[in-house]
Amino acid sequence: MGFLDIRNVTKSYGQVEVLHRVDIAIEEGEFLVLVGPSGCGKSTLLNMIAGLEGISGGEIAIKGRVVNGVHPSKRNIAMVFQSYALYPNMTVGQNMTFGLEMHGVPKPERERALADVAKLLQIDHLLDRKPGQLSGGQRQRVAMGRALVRNPDVFLFDEPLSNLDAKLRVDMRTEIKKLHQKLKTTIVYVTHDQIEALTLSTRIAVMNKGHVQQLGTPKDIYDTPANLFVATFMGSPAMNIIPARVVARDGVPYASVTDAEGAPRLLRFSQTNLAAWDGRDILLGIRPEAITDPEGADRKSQNIQTLANRVTVTEPAGSDTFVTMTLGGRDAIARMRADASVAAGQAYDFAVNMEKAVAFDPATEMRILP
Amino acid sequence: MAAVIQDTAVSTGRVTRVLIYLLLLLFALFYLLPLYVMGINSVKPLAEITGGNMMALPEVWTLDPWRSAWSTAQIGVEPTGLKPYFLNSILMVVPAVAISTIVGALNGYVLTKWRFRGDTWVFGLMLFSCFIPFQIVLIPMAVVLGKLGLAGSVPGLVLVHVVYGIGFTTLYFRNYYAAFPTELVRAAQIDGAGFFQIFWRILLPVSGPIAVVSVIWQFTNIWNDFLFGASFGGTSQPMTVALNNLVQSSTGVKEYNVHFAGAILAALPTLIVYIVAGRYFVRGLMAGSVKG
Ligand SMILES: Nc1ncnc2c1ncn2[C@@H]1O[C@H](COP(=O)(O)OP(=O)(O)OP(=O)(O)O)[C@@H](O)[C@H]1O
Ligand SMILES: [Mg+2]
Repeated sequence: MGFLDIRNVTKSYGQVEVLHRVDIAIEEGEFLVLVGPSGCGKSTLLNMIAGLEGISGGEIAIKGRVVNGVHPSKRNIAMVFQSYALYPNMTVGQNMTFGLEMHGVPKPERERALADVAKLLQIDHLLDRKPGQLSGGQRQRVAMGRALVRNPDVFLFDEPLSNLDAKLRVDMRTEIKKLHQKLKTTIVYVTHDQIEALTLSTRIAVMNKGHVQQLGTPKDIYDTPANLFVATFMGSPAMNIIPARVVARDGVPYASVTDAEGAPRLLRFSQTNLAAWDGRDILLGIRPEAITDPEGADRKSQNIQTLANRVTVTEPAGSDTFVTMTLGGRDAIARMRADASVAAGQAYDFAVNMEKAVAFDPATEMRILP
Repeated sequence: MAAVIQDTAVSTGRVTRVLIYLLLLLFALFYLLPLYVMGINSVKPLAEITGGNMMALPEVWTLDPWRSAWSTAQIGVEPTGLKPYFLNSILMVVPAVAISTIVGALNGYVLTKWRFRGDTWVFGLMLFSCFIPFQIVLIPMAVVLGKLGLAGSVPGLVLVHVVYGIGFTTLYFRNYYAAFPTELVRAAQIDGAGFFQIFWRILLPVSGPIAVVSVIWQFTNIWNDFLFGASFGGTSQPMTVALNNLVQSSTGVKEYNVHFAGAILAALPTLIVYIVAGRYFVRGLMAGSVKG
């Protein structure tokens, strides 16, 4: 039993089921990120934890107490909304202490809590202003402050950074992470930005169409995606998915992929159990950073394979150079060091880190377990 | 206002500007003419009106017509002046405006933030009530008032006007609150505020503009209403009915100066409401459209 338990929870609107048997146990102090494309049910799930939406099936428990049907204010949770939802007629200070006031906390205690949190978030000088007189970043802080003041069991965030500009978003992301490390609070955080998910979380639940596709640490999700959806949704640029055929030589499995000219190239698998797939088609998943120039290859890897292929396009992006090639009839992207000498149209020997390669069953789209 | 003028994109030349102002002045004078006639004739002795020019300034200034209209003129059979009827109107209009505005605000709040099955139907029916002509409801209304024991009383009139006004006030507040972010209500729910606390602490403080619209609309309609007053007023008739009785009386000489004074008295409250709250009225009407 966890700190926050979501047990077999479903949600239906009329006849339409939008969440299907979601089952997640969250430990105390965990930072769980719900990530997925628009309309996959992230907000719905978060609102159900908050008590703003009814639960159609299953149960949600906080600290062992089932909270189905318990009023939002009695669940000891706090929520930060995408639009911040600051009360426009109240000052920042009143906004932050409104919840305490509603819960009947006496004024001196409220003032003390307010002063502590305002100092922590460095918004002491804004307390007498109205939300309309704040910048986006300041409003964001106030919204978080309002949640912190309550000292709840669980913090719920619904895309709190999506209204900020790119630079501020990165800053606030770091800030939220610092805050979590300092306060060790339990957080459920919704986003559709996979970078936010990977950087902030201790665990990620990748959702699609109302199903949890995979639940795991950022490393699990990134290195060993459970299926094609997770593989392509997480990571930027996305994982290369290359049609390939398994060829076993003396019991050692190779991936046979066609290069730009249509000639087969062999890449030895690290997963020996793939020998059982001899002669069958699979989908080979390789992240862009696992295809490099030979000098840039991971020195710790036990299995760097050389792949000769023609370069289609190079895109220098400052710190890296992205190189596009044709592999298995599709475009594949390699991530090279910025000063790798490679030009479009040229034949090149790429280094492929096959330790990081994953294989998917084309029929089920699930990863073939090693 | 200066800022508004500076904001206009088209810059006008000096001559055009003078022409525009002259034209506006002319229109203003034209619209003020009736008020001038009423004002000027209400401070003249009757002889000057019947014998001379309606437009001329009085030769002898007198406030007697006002005194007469207020406290001694013959209304119907009693020589009471308009005073008791004015009080009737105040006693009717203040609670009726207040209640219909508050109920409208609550309706708007529920219809937008506490949606329930069939809420659009309820709203549709309330909207429909805005289009029912007064005459149709006269007889059923009389029956209901009779059953309630409120016939011919000020509370009866208050009830009639509240019922009739709720459709409009609900429409105003519903459209205004529809543009109000629902996330704020959810945040307040999590903060532990109840139904009325959310209404009182979160929504009402930002409802100023639409409340002004509702108050002005209701005030003018209820104050100026004649039909309900004449039908259900009984012994506590409002100002409009009394003014009619004063002006239409067929016995004795027609005291035009007293009639003018009475008419101004009857129009004064709505005039004051417009002057005090008029600019908020326009702002409130705009608010919905800009935000929504
Ligand atoms: N009141 C409702 N009635 C019917 N369907 C609804 C309702 N609210 C949400 N849905 C449906 O539920 C699904 C999940 O919605 P939800 O808001 O949870 O998506 P989301 O993952 O938060 O997406 P986004 O990233 O766009 O915020 C959507 O397909 C949506 O159309
Ligand atoms: Mg959402």
